Amino acid sequence: MTLLVVDNLTISFGNKKVVDGISFGLTAGERIGVIGESGSGKSMTSLAIMGLLPDTATVSGSITFEGKELIGLSDKEHSKLRGDRIGMVFQEPLTALNPLMRIGKQIAGPLMNHRGASLKEGVVKALELCEKVGLPDPERIVRAYPHQLSGGQRQRIGLAIALACEPALLIADEPTTALDVTVQREVLNLINSLVTQEKSSLIFVTHDLPVVSVMTENVAVMQFGKIVENASVAELFQSPQHEYSKRLISAARLAENAFSQGGEKL
Amino acid sequence: MRNILKGNISLIAGLSMISFTFFLLILSYIWTPFDPLEVDPKASFAGVSATHILGADNFGRDILSQIIVGSRVTLLVAALSVTIAMSLGVSIGLAIAVAKRTYQSPMIYAVNIALAFPAALLAIILAAVYGASTVTAVTAIGIATAAAVAQVTRRTAAGILASDFVLAAHASGSGTWWIVRKHLLPNLRASLLIQASAAVSISVLAESSLSYLGLGTPPPAPSWGRMLANSQQYLFVNPLLAIWPGIVIVIVVLGFNLLGDGVREAFDPTLRRSEQ
Repeated sequence: MTLLVVDNLTISFGNKKVVDGISFGLTAGERIGVIGESGSGKSMTSLAIMGLLPDTATVSGSITFEGKELIGLSDKEHSKLRGDRIGMVFQEPLTALNPLMRIGKQIAGPLMNHRGASLKEGVVKALELCEKVGLPDPERIVRAYPHQLSGGQRQRIGLAIALACEPALLIADEPTTALDVTVQREVLNLINSLVTQEKSSLIFVTHDLPVVSVMTENVAVMQFGKIVENASVAELFQSPQHEYSKRLISAARLAENAFSQGGEKL
Repeated sequence: MRNILKGNISLIAGLSMISFTFFLLILSYIWTPFDPLEVDPKASFAGVSATHILGADNFGRDILSQIIVGSRVTLLVAALSVTIAMSLGVSIGLAIAVAKRTYQSPMIYAVNIALAFPAALLAIILAAVYGASTVTAVTAIGIATAAAVAQVTRRTAAGILASDFVLAAHASGSGTWWIVRKHLLPNLRASLLIQASAAVSISVLAESSLSYLGLGTPPPAPSWGRMLANSQQYLFVNPLLAIWPGIVIVIVVLGFNLLGDGVREAFDPTLRRSEQ
């Protein structure tokens, strides 16, 4: 069953096209990785799906989600989907949480917006969600403020917020870029198991090829606002077609070689 | 309450200083050593003594009594003009920050024009039309400070609205009103408190200078600002005349600044000791 179809999506600021006629689709439960360097338009694509582009952006093309056209949808209608049918995890766990609001209330937010939950009911649900994302001592966590938690813990909270309403689609925009390498692995495993468990679809945006290769079956490689290659992870690794894909792979190989050569200098 | 005060030196110091000025205010309605307007030629420039505890001015009016009664004008002007400045400034600042981009620039220009307009000029205009009084001084100070408050509020609010956690709140389906109430205002609170306490200081000083220019509360009602202005001519004859009103002005200005700082600390979980 088709969940999301992005067709000929173009986003521009003034004369500058940041996303240039990209198309891709996603069926229910399918996962896709979007990889590209900064400025390639990958984050803008996910914001367009969320309807959160700055109001200076001009958008054309079409995005259909669960049969509904999202381009031109009023902000009010769009906000009914956000946090409910589509969840999003952000790159910076340090800044994506309100520093002056207790964690419990922040997790309760989407439940209060979409499920008509009271703050009390929301916080009770937040306890369950904390446990689900593997946070120890939920009682303490829901009463804590963001600055009392570590980066990894905060990203788990971000995940709990995104998954609170059991969305059909999870968009993860570089969710592990800002984390320590060891914590990265844990958060990736967590996203993996939760998405499997919830049977959600996943759009995983990253600039890190090894990360995307363990998360998704298919990868869209973006450069200068265009999708330059669309392939399965295996195909991409074996026979990259586009010049940029080749460079990505050789960069990833570099790290691999470093291990096999025991730290020999460049 | 005890928890909030604990270790919060700014809050304790600020509260004590403000309590002291309010004590003077209440005292002014109950008791003063002399009638503050009573002229006594024999006591002219009297030094510190048992009769005139803080001395007397050129007309022989008791300084302590004038200071006690002068607190009325100072605190009234401070309270009213800060109320005007904050309510007007914050609502305008927030309205601009939340408004659509196309409406923002003309509104920002309007605020900048108001900002360029000095309080003294506004006070002169108002005094020319309505006659110099406490009300014209309050209005002039309130409006002039409101422009600065609107400017700072708009910038701070724009910064908060552009932050990741507001984007994340949008991403979980929050509406504009919810974001303003739950995300914008709490994060704006620290800045508003600082602005309010700065506005108190500014208005106390502005009232003093307007009184000095004859644009504030008309004589003979005592005001700290006019006492200070009055003392200027006798600075080398009797410097004490300038020192007493100076000290109480410093106490009220410093008190409100410390209070602002202390309340901010009490509200901000990252600064709060008990949350560490």
